[in-house]
Amino acid sequence: MAALRSIAARIGLLPDDEGGPPIVPPSGWSAWLTTLTAGAMAFLALLTIAAGLAAGGLAEDWRADLAEAATLRLPAGTDAATVAQVVDLLRATPGIASSRPLDAAEQAALLEPWLGRGAALDDLPLPVMIDLRVLGTGPDVAALEANLGLTAPGAVYDDHAGVRAPLGRAAEEVRRLALAGTLLVIVAAASMVALAARASLAANSELVRIIRLIGGEDAFITRAFVGRVVRRTALGALAGAALGAAALAALPAGGAAAALAPVLLPGAEGLAALAAAVALGLVAVGWAAARITLRVTLREME
Amino acid sequence: MQVLTGVLNGNLTVISLDRISFGYDGRATLEGVEVTIPAGSFHFLTGPSGAGKTTLLKLIHLEHRPHKGSIALFGENIAPSDAAQRTRLRRRIGVVFQDFRLIDHMSVADNIALPLRLQGKPMATHREDVTELVEWVGLTERADALPRTLSAGEKQRAAIARAVITSPELIIADEPTGNIDAEMGMRILRLLVELNRLGKTVLVATHDLGLIRAAKSLVQARTLRLSERRLLLAASEL
Ligand SMILES: Nc1ncnc2c1ncn2[C@@H]1O[C@H](COP(=O)(O)OP(=O)(O)OP(=O)(O)O)[C@@H](O)[C@H]1O
Ligand SMILES: [Mg+2]
Repeated sequence: MAALRSIAARIGLLPDDEGGPPIVPPSGWSAWLTTLTAGAMAFLALLTIAAGLAAGGLAEDWRADLAEAATLRLPAGTDAATVAQVVDLLRATPGIASSRPLDAAEQAALLEPWLGRGAALDDLPLPVMIDLRVLGTGPDVAALEANLGLTAPGAVYDDHAGVRAPLGRAAEEVRRLALAGTLLVIVAAASMVALAARASLAANSELVRIIRLIGGEDAFITRAFVGRVVRRTALGALAGAALGAAALAALPAGGAAAALAPVLLPGAEGLAALAAAVALGLVAVGWAAARITLRVTLREME
Repeated sequence: MQVLTGVLNGNLTVISLDRISFGYDGRATLEGVEVTIPAGSFHFLTGPSGAGKTTLLKLIHLEHRPHKGSIALFGENIAPSDAAQRTRLRRRIGVVFQDFRLIDHMSVADNIALPLRLQGKPMATHREDVTELVEWVGLTERADALPRTLSAGEKQRAAIARAVITSPELIIADEPTGNIDAEMGMRILRLLVELNRLGKTVLVATHDLGLIRAAKSLVQARTLRLSERRLLLAASEL
């Protein structure tokens, strides 16, 4: 515990109060802008990451569902005996778990969005559809179609690649957007902390001069100022991440996203872990940004 | 012109200025100043207002860099861009600034204790030293006050206490009795003399001839005089 405290003090998370009052003077209400901004950043980062994870995950789910399904289409007018033969053949094909011809009602349901309810489907030359569940990477399509050539000429195997690929790309794009959003939040947080650290040093240039003159090291000054900025950032980041997690957790209670919430959101533990990671990440970014800025600025103040 | 002063305590040279020139904004303030101050000596630095006493002390304390010439402290040549050396040497020097330079948001006691903190000395073991020194400079009642609430003389005493809290080898004081009454002035002088007897080197800039006279009855002190941008041994010393 003592070791933890001393590490926390060294990186500025806890004030180093062993030796007396804070080195950096209290700086009034404007310093709380750092906390406020850090809070907003944490909130945004959490939402961006959660949205990215959720949208990416959703597209991934759909793609995975589709990857397990395939359709075999036989030309219109194929008779029932041939269909039965084809089903037998499919049963013996490696890579296919099961097959099931769609009945007329199911076909009607599929076509309803295009043709309207109660369309006279009997008059239309509809292909026979066989719904397939595939295993792993699916069957060897060329061999399957060659086999089918004799039994049911014109049979077409459709693995939904045409639909799957765009979904995969969509998932990828959403993920990339979320990553870009997160990186932007990191850059913004680092800039905000750097500005705050610089302003704080500029407002206390006389203090810096005196400390140097009476034998203080720049490392001591850096620690004192980093501590001030990092503690404010940490406070804001924790509050912002907690609020963000609470907002996300409250989604299922109402609103348009409610229906999707169970798919979209990690569980309560997942959310808590995500919020903690966001807060911790922001503190780390703030700490590094403050340190670098202070060192550079102190060197300029030589 | 080299001003050589007697070797009082071995032959270690604490301050050595070699043909130093310095000025502000292109005007020369000091030209070709040379001085060697041995360890354990007591020196006064006098000269009219504006002669450059504060400037010379700032050069010695490494606050300014000479435009010409070189400085050695405690036998070490100063490398102008070596911040670590600057800090290390400053820790061996206690300074009383003419304008005090106390830290506004810290109490008198915390200001006085600050050099200990900066040198990583645990406060727990030094709390008594601080209390004792605060009492010695007569600020016990004002120990928790902020500097802006102090009179000039009280600030001066706080600045003196801060300069000596770490028991530095060299004490530089710029007009340490400028704002205090004669009695307190004598007290401060006795403190400086006492420290000198303990082996500390003392350099005091002052116009206060009374102070110099009083000191000479207590300690073997020499007087350096700044005049016309040069440093001379005062006439009375010749
Ligand atoms: N920061 C500065 N910028 C420009 N000129 C300065 C600066 N500091 C001092 N000077 C000038 O340098 C000269 C020497 O000043 P300095 O303070 O060293 O004198 P001093 O001997 O300490 O005087 P006093 O007895 O009044 O304290 C003066 O003419 C002063 O105006
Ligand atoms: Mg002066």
